[in-house]
Amino acid sequence: MNRKRALRRRIVVATLLVLSVALLTVYFRESSDGPVHRIEASGLHVVAPLQSGAARIAQPFHDGWNWAADLFSAQSQNRQLRNEVQQLRQQVAQNLVTQQQNDELRGLLQMRGAQLFPKGSRFADARVIARSATAWYSTVTIDAGSAAGVRVNDAVVNGEGLVGRVTAVTPDVSQVTLVTDQDSYVDAMTLPGGAQGLIHGSVTGDLTMEYVDRSQKVIAGQVVVTSGLKGSIFTRGIPVGRVSSVAQQDVELYQSISVVPYVDFHTLDLVLVVLS
Amino acid sequence: MSQRMPAIEKPVEGPRIAVELARLGALLIVVVLLQTVVAPNLRVLGANPDFVLLVVVSVALLRGAETGAVFGFVAGGLVSLALFVPPGVQSLVMVAVGFLAGRYAETADLSPSVAPIVTVFAGTVLAESLSLLAQFLFGRQVPVGYLFGHWFVPLLVLNTLLAVPIYVACRWWLKGARHVRLPEA
Repeated sequence: MNRKRALRRRIVVATLLVLSVALLTVYFRESSDGPVHRIEASGLHVVAPLQSGAARIAQPFHDGWNWAADLFSAQSQNRQLRNEVQQLRQQVAQNLVTQQQNDELRGLLQMRGAQLFPKGSRFADARVIARSATAWYSTVTIDAGSAAGVRVNDAVVNGEGLVGRVTAVTPDVSQVTLVTDQDSYVDAMTLPGGAQGLIHGSVTGDLTMEYVDRSQKVIAGQVVVTSGLKGSIFTRGIPVGRVSSVAQQDVELYQSISVVPYVDFHTLDLVLVVLS
Repeated sequence: MSQRMPAIEKPVEGPRIAVELARLGALLIVVVLLQTVVAPNLRVLGANPDFVLLVVVSVALLRGAETGAVFGFVAGGLVSLALFVPPGVQSLVMVAVGFLAGRYAETADLSPSVAPIVTVFAGTVLAESLSLLAQFLFGRQVPVGYLFGHWFVPLLVLNTLLAVPIYVACRWWLKGARHVRLPEA
């Protein structure tokens, strides 16, 4: 009896393991409109409204938490004002949230009017409703989908600069892969100078600019923008970040350039999708 | 504290199977929603809790290796599909976690107060190791220091802290469930 049971157990587990590997293989081998990808899109379609609701519920707690963290760091300098601060907490928190939203909206408006995008470019405003819960993928879900004109590979920006690109779309929501994702590559150049390379993300959230020829002069502090090469999904001149360090080794063909992104991905909220 | 858990009761049959499946199905929906809707908004110590692992381990402890593996496969697959990540990896990892947690429950002397903590701790280590291996095979790299400091250790602490509450909730939901142990041969 026990032997039979053990045999069945082994068969079940072996079958499940084989199924998992098969699923993985099919996922990577099929096209982006294959059955597994379609099921995936349906799943997001079902979960997205719930994620949106949860994000709304969680937002006041996030704001409160951020505010409390800010307050904690300032406590040593403001001890004598603590009583007064406590009375004003609610009001200050509300003001901060409003201010932050105003800044974000102003930034988005500036980005729209910055003439970075071709004449006649259309945009879709969106809000981040969910973030990846794992360190392996830097993605966010936004509340604009194909119904708003969003398509895969549309560029996503905010008032500070380049956020990422759309990698999956359902009628109501889209998934955006951030430039900090390890699978993200963005053609970019430094200003001034115009040294060209590829901005590559990493699991740590740091950006590196790769494939910059050693003969190109790049120094810390230079601005990095998208280069808008022919065929690129990003138009030329979208701010990406600032060069923080440059390393050159004799054995390397290319320079190793670290870039600090302009966008604060931890507080990402309002974004603009550049519709293709 | 270290009392030996009684052997599994007579296998469920007939209408009880339908009830059992319904309870597991409902638990599946809840854990998928928890992982896709709640977990992304719960960032503690720099990590998001892994509700799938917590529930898979609890189900495996309460229902055994086979059920744990099947539950892990389905839960992992559904969560991956809903979160737009390659679907086979999470399934593979959760099958391994569910199966091994179930085998542990079937063969070891368990104290109900310690078993969930130990198993979730070990399960998290196993799951993250397998995920790391899978990501390495996909060509994704991560500095070890960053992985441990910013992700692995916080996740381990967070999951371990949540082990008992989640286990108790699962035991309450799967009414009458208890640690499984194979009858003596």
